Amino acid sequence: MEDLESILKQHPFLEDLQPEQVKLIVGCAKNLRFKPGEFLAREGQKEACLSLIRRGTVAIETHAPNGETMCIETLMPGDVLGLSWITPATAHFDCRARETVIAFSLDHGCLVGKMKEDPAFGYAITSRLLDNTYQRLSRLRLQKLDVYR
Amino acid sequence: MSTGEATRRAPNAYMPIPTRIGRMVGDIEDVFTWALEPSEPFEFAPGQFNMLYAHGVGEVPISISGDPTDPTVLHHTVRVVGKVTRALGALNVGDEIGVRGPFGSTWPLGQAIGQDVLFVAGGLGLAPLRPAILAVLARRGEFGQVSIIYGARSPEDILFRRELEAWRGRFDVDLEAIVDRSGTDWYGRVGVVTRLVAEADVDPETSVAMVCGPEIMMRFTARELEQRGFEQDQIWVSLERSMKCAVGLCGHCQLGGTFVCKDGPVYRYDEVAAKMLVRGL
Ligand SMILES: Cc1cc2nc3c(=O)[nH]c(=O)nc-3n(C[C@H](O)[C@H](O)[C@H](O)COP(=O)(O)OP(=O)(O)OC[C@H]3O[C@@H](n4cnc5c(N)ncnc54)[C@H](O)[C@@H]3O)c2cc1C
Ligand code: FES
Repeated sequence: MEDLESILKQHPFLEDLQPEQVKLIVGCAKNLRFKPGEFLAREGQKEACLSLIRRGTVAIETHAPNGETMCIETLMPGDVLGLSWITPATAHFDCRARETVIAFSLDHGCLVGKMKEDPAFGYAITSRLLDNTYQRLSRLRLQKLDVYR
Repeated sequence: MSTGEATRRAPNAYMPIPTRIGRMVGDIEDVFTWALEPSEPFEFAPGQFNMLYAHGVGEVPISISGDPTDPTVLHHTVRVVGKVTRALGALNVGDEIGVRGPFGSTWPLGQAIGQDVLFVAGGLGLAPLRPAILAVLARRGEFGQVSIIYGARSPEDILFRRELEAWRGRFDVDLEAIVDRSGTDWYGRVGVVTRLVAEADVDPETSVAMVCGPEIMMRFTARELEQRGFEQDQIWVSLERSMKCAVGLCGHCQLGGTFVCKDGPVYRYDEVAAKMLVRGL
């Protein structure tokens, strides 16, 4: 059976990390399973972990006063959830498992502690978070343009 | 720029031919598709357009959205946006319109033979690409992997939905669709079309990409394709500009040094990439 370390390093977010850096993450990671309909994060609640999605689809949702729920984006295996986690902040949206979701959950306190202790490791994680944030931002900008109108 | 596919020319480029509306399909809100009944067989090449004339109101360029292998019926898919398209939308089965065409350049199907083909359509941009998709599927064995990526505003705005589902069900086509936003009753992808382009299982070394949709979407898509390793000369786009004559005389459709009605609407991306970045052009 594959151990946590070898599965972790296959996730695109951790691609090209040094083996010793992956080891640092292992100590902060839990493998979690969410049932369909279960929430990985709720709007207004503290985001205490960064989730690396391994399987399943997560819908990022919000709701209007009339009760209508809108999906803004779906996240897929290989994506990360909880980009604002480094601050740490509260979630801006509900994140719901649309089918069974399997994700690595990286604990905030544990990982940030290691990032502070080891600046090279901190840089490697921060630059990945920035890259993901930038990609998410570009997609949202295009979405905001509402080009198909 | 030749696309390697024979362009068809209008028998009389200045004379609208009276043509009967045979069937009307209500696709999605404010968009309708006509099956027109030409009095003579109507030959066209995928990517070309006609000028459709609403009697007494005016004429507009509209891409041909039907099957290029069937000259007995002529399909057009129109979004109601203003004076002429509204007048066209108010017509009924049995009414006549004027048709002038076909005009313009074609999707590079000849050049795509032996290559993998990636179609990227956004919104109504699926209509001008549909003849090319149908032509490729009709000659499926001549092409490598065929992938179709489609982006729409919402699940309710998906054009040719049943046909997209049928293509998706084929073993020899990869089709992915995504919508910009949805409710909870949509189980497909939500996000922008470039997301699917970034993930597509395509080999830039052996592919030709044909992209059609709003111009901003095409620019973003081309950028994503370039990031994936596509060269600009492997990417083709279809442009829209205001038109009057459709034969390269009046200058209404001028884009830098080219006339979209005559040199386009389908262009190889390297020919227009810089022009597409000029504001107001
Ligand atoms: C080569 C070519 C192929 C086309 N194919 C199709 C097609 O298959 N289906 C289809 O529905 N439309 C297509 N169009 C666009 C179509 O020609 C215009 O929507 C139409 O001319 C609008 O005329 P109107 O009198 O109804 O609107 P107008 O009264 O002229 O304009 C109403 C509003 O629509 C906007 N508008 C006008 N033309 C365009 C345009 N080209 N693109 C975006 N917004 C525009 C105007 O800025 C204005 O805000 C194509 C255009 C070209 C050049
Ligand atoms: S529409 Fe007259 S030159 Fe193109």
